[in-house]
Amino acid sequence: MAGAAVAATGSSGVPGEKVDWRLAAPLGLTYLAFFAAPFAILLGVSFYADSEQTRLGLDSWTKFYGDAFYLKVILDTLKLGVFAVVATTLLAYPLALVFRAASARAQRVLIFIILMPLLTSVVIRTFAWIVILAREGVINQTLIGLGITATPLNLLQTELGLVIALTQIEMPLMLLPLLTIMNQMDQNLIDASRALGASKWRTFFRVVLPLTLPGWIAGATLVFASATTAFISQSVIGGARLVYLPALIYQQVTVVYNWPFAAVASLTLLFTVLAGIMALGWLGRFAKTS
Amino acid sequence: MTVMTRRDLMAGAAALGLAGMLSGRASAAGSLTAAIYPGTWEEAYRGVVAPELKKKYAVDVAFDALFAVDQVAKVRAARGVPPFDCFVLDPGPAAAAMQAGLFEPIDIKKLSNADKVPKGLITSHAVTCNAQVVGIAYNPKKFPNPPKTWADLFKSPYVERLGLTGFQTTFGTVSLIEIAKAFGGSEANMDPVFKVLKEAVPKVAAIATPAALPGLFQQGQVDIMYGNTNTVAILKGRGVDIAYIAPESGSITFQTTLHIVKGAENVDAAYKYIDTAISPDIQNALQKAPYNMVPINTDTPLDPSLGITSLDELSKMVTHDWTKINPQRAAWIERFNKEITK
Repeated sequence: MAGAAVAATGSSGVPGEKVDWRLAAPLGLTYLAFFAAPFAILLGVSFYADSEQTRLGLDSWTKFYGDAFYLKVILDTLKLGVFAVVATTLLAYPLALVFRAASARAQRVLIFIILMPLLTSVVIRTFAWIVILAREGVINQTLIGLGITATPLNLLQTELGLVIALTQIEMPLMLLPLLTIMNQMDQNLIDASRALGASKWRTFFRVVLPLTLPGWIAGATLVFASATTAFISQSVIGGARLVYLPALIYQQVTVVYNWPFAAVASLTLLFTVLAGIMALGWLGRFAKTS
Repeated sequence: MTVMTRRDLMAGAAALGLAGMLSGRASAAGSLTAAIYPGTWEEAYRGVVAPELKKKYAVDVAFDALFAVDQVAKVRAARGVPPFDCFVLDPGPAAAAMQAGLFEPIDIKKLSNADKVPKGLITSHAVTCNAQVVGIAYNPKKFPNPPKTWADLFKSPYVERLGLTGFQTTFGTVSLIEIAKAFGGSEANMDPVFKVLKEAVPKVAAIATPAALPGLFQQGQVDIMYGNTNTVAILKGRGVDIAYIAPESGSITFQTTLHIVKGAENVDAAYKYIDTAISPDIQNALQKAPYNMVPINTDTPLDPSLGITSLDELSKMVTHDWTKINPQRAAWIERFNKEITK
């Protein structure tokens, strides 16, 4: 994530004092022992051909990538991440503009409101969405009460319901980097654009958007990675008819005991999320840094 | 030179916690770590079994809250260094763990309560601690005439309010097998149930993960589901409109079993833990609200809230052979994924 943000801002090294690389050693060694090594094992397990792990072979890979169902699961997982990014972006940018214009005191209140969901466990937020989206939930009761619909809408266990819930759950991850960069933006550039006759929309697309792109990329990266791997929200709100990679991995590991197949699914999830993050990082080249 | 393991740390932490509460407690004669299902089971074993074990044998128990499938996955992943001493399992995972050689054999002589447990419920590697009964759960306010057979679940108006789950749990698997039988299938021929499910999918109220189902029932998203009497009693205890009905073909029963993990460090403490869990007083406490677990000790008089009058009834209920189910389960799960997914 940090890599994407740094790449996005396009800064080339820190000038001035040289930093001792050993400062990174504690975390680096931890990653080596507890991420790189297990990752190598995971990669190794994926090359077993059978669930008892007795025979080597590419069977798990060919089974996964040779089956249209599993390809659709990858696609659906990516799609969910994209939807979450789009929805959070559409809601976050207007709020970020309001935030920029607000007084310091109002900004503090806004930050508190934005952070509040993060202070609640994701499990609680997810179950709260069941109460809101259910047949006898808040939304349906309101719609029926207002006479807009006679029969309750089915919101739970649909992709729409899941995207709505994920948008709220992941929103702080989009807002925090975006707000930070919004506050750093030079007001003179916006004033200049307006003074030179650009409309509000033109100013937004030609000045504000390029200047805030690094913040958006950091936020989008976090939301994408978090939404595609949100096991609890996906399984509780999405239900059993929407199969995403995290639920598939859980099922293969704990119920079916087919670890090689689960390893293939895990690596696939890792690389699809990574590909999404790299695509976002690539967008960073369009950012204006000053 | 002593080596601290994670288990020592946990036992130590548990002991410290207890020491804080009971000042001047006698030094522990032993300790163990036991896996337990999260939720009611954890509450029940922490609240009922642990204090008795401490009082009677001065043994401390630390609990590791895990579903059956997760326990087996964890022990398999630990490869010979078991993360806990005692399993609690449903028949499916138990059969899988047995096949993978994850159990120590049970020495019946070390269990003082063994003679009060009906024959067949203690085997070479397993001690039954409770029975589970599975049938149809429904909302009696919405449906004064409840569905009476497994086939009824797929008829209007019931099907529109039905909550379905797949093969990932024991109760889900056995219920789907009984539904297959109701439509002319069997354990060996599950095609009928898949056909029925496929037709029902656009109509049903929810197809959910098993853990989400009670919450959906509570929220009124579903009004009918298959489930065990234990879940029904717990929801009822929370004021949810829910009732249990045995299908005409009979309720399904299966046993929850305790096992000692292969290579466990605290085998003696594990025997004391198991013996405590199956003792008459503890079984009696566990069958009361809010735990509502069907007891297996013949000295325990059955609580009327359980809906059965004697343990003999259990022997007349429908049972399944998990050694036949397990080899097919992966294929069923895959088929369910593929045919039910949008």
